[in-house]
Amino acid sequence: MALKVLTVDDSKTIRLIVKKAFQPFNCEIFEAENGVEGLAAAAKVKPGLIILDITMPVMNGVEMLDRMKTDADLKNIPVIMLTAESGKDNVLNIVKKGVKDYMVKPFKGEDLIDRVKKILILEPKMEEMAEGKKPEKYFTQIEDIVVLTLPSKVTRPVTVEVETSLQAKIKDMSEAQLKKMILDMNGVAETNVSLIKLIITALQQCQKASVAVKLVANPKQGEELKGFQETSQIAVAPSIDMAKAAL
Amino acid sequence: MSGIHAIDLKSFVTNAVKGVFKTMLSMPLELEDPPNIANVTTGTHMIGTVGFAGVAMGNVSLFVSRDFAREITAAMLGMGLGEVGGDEEVCDVVGEVCNMVGGDLKSRLCDAGFTCSLSIPSITYGDSFKIESKGWDRHERYGVRNSHHSALLEVYIKAANPS
Repeated sequence: MALKVLTVDDSKTIRLIVKKAFQPFNCEIFEAENGVEGLAAAAKVKPGLIILDITMPVMNGVEMLDRMKTDADLKNIPVIMLTAESGKDNVLNIVKKGVKDYMVKPFKGEDLIDRVKKILILEPKMEEMAEGKKPEKYFTQIEDIVVLTLPSKVTRPVTVEVETSLQAKIKDMSEAQLKKMILDMNGVAETNVSLIKLIITALQQCQKASVAVKLVANPKQGEELKGFQETSQIAVAPSIDMAKAAL
Repeated sequence: MSGIHAIDLKSFVTNAVKGVFKTMLSMPLELEDPPNIANVTTGTHMIGTVGFAGVAMGNVSLFVSRDFAREITAAMLGMGLGEVGGDEEVCDVVGEVCNMVGGDLKSRLCDAGFTCSLSIPSITYGDSFKIESKGWDRHERYGVRNSHHSALLEVYIKAANPS
């Protein structure tokens, strides 16, 4: 059964980030914009977890939490609080309220999931598991070199999918004693932050597994990569043949 | 002299914005001194503002061009620029960035003994407008930039009970 997660935040942006963070997992996400809506949603949905912002109009997160603690049906629901304020008094105040954990903004979706995993078991979605068993989706092989062809549109969910597939593929490569990989981004339509993160993660995964890797990008993409600090120093080959020769 | 003058406001604010951009947007920023004010106050631009009130009172604002605001939105939501929706979505993201910067500043102020509470963020955007506020102990502006765009941070602050 899917874990019901209620995100209570006046910022649509944060609700979206929370939603995306849980996307790879078997979760059903419910949203509320303030404490009043949050209490109503919690009573109706009976979530297995609440991600609760503090500073909100109408009713803030602390008041919502106080009210939950007096409601027999809601008081045992685990709550992770989000706060933009890292001051000592604020943190102490949150801890005293009996929340399971708290996160200070700014935060990454991955960090939130790490915190959640400390208190609950998150099961991957069935289709994610299926994808994980089919790492071939993005991969081809030329002689002893595995080519990872990045999809035209790289968004955060795609990043999770490719990373999961890559992990499985690297395991297969180790068993087959294959030690060379080409990361081909020629078909990628737009250089965005998700793509940069994916490239960095893929290179790190290869390095960790002692797999030699070359990145293939067209000249325009090569220039765009130089614009990001994380990828500005990465050497790129203009074609798969050139990358093959360099490996 | 009020103790508020002894606070290293520049480090508080610029470190906060650099932290938010790095963590949430994977977008490193560097200081731009002097700030490129013209770049963020001409053409369509957006200003996110968060107020704080208590022993210290004031507000912190983030000025960005509309183009930069859209780039920030795309980075924050992990999408391509073409996928960014209307101004409502962009305003929400700029407001949230400002909220995080304001939250960090508020925490530093509280830890320094200037206890205060934070307001929810507000957004102003348009083509030709100028915001001025009077009667503060300090009014400072700091510039930051990434490889393509400049942003401006403006802080007004005063102590409620000068010590």
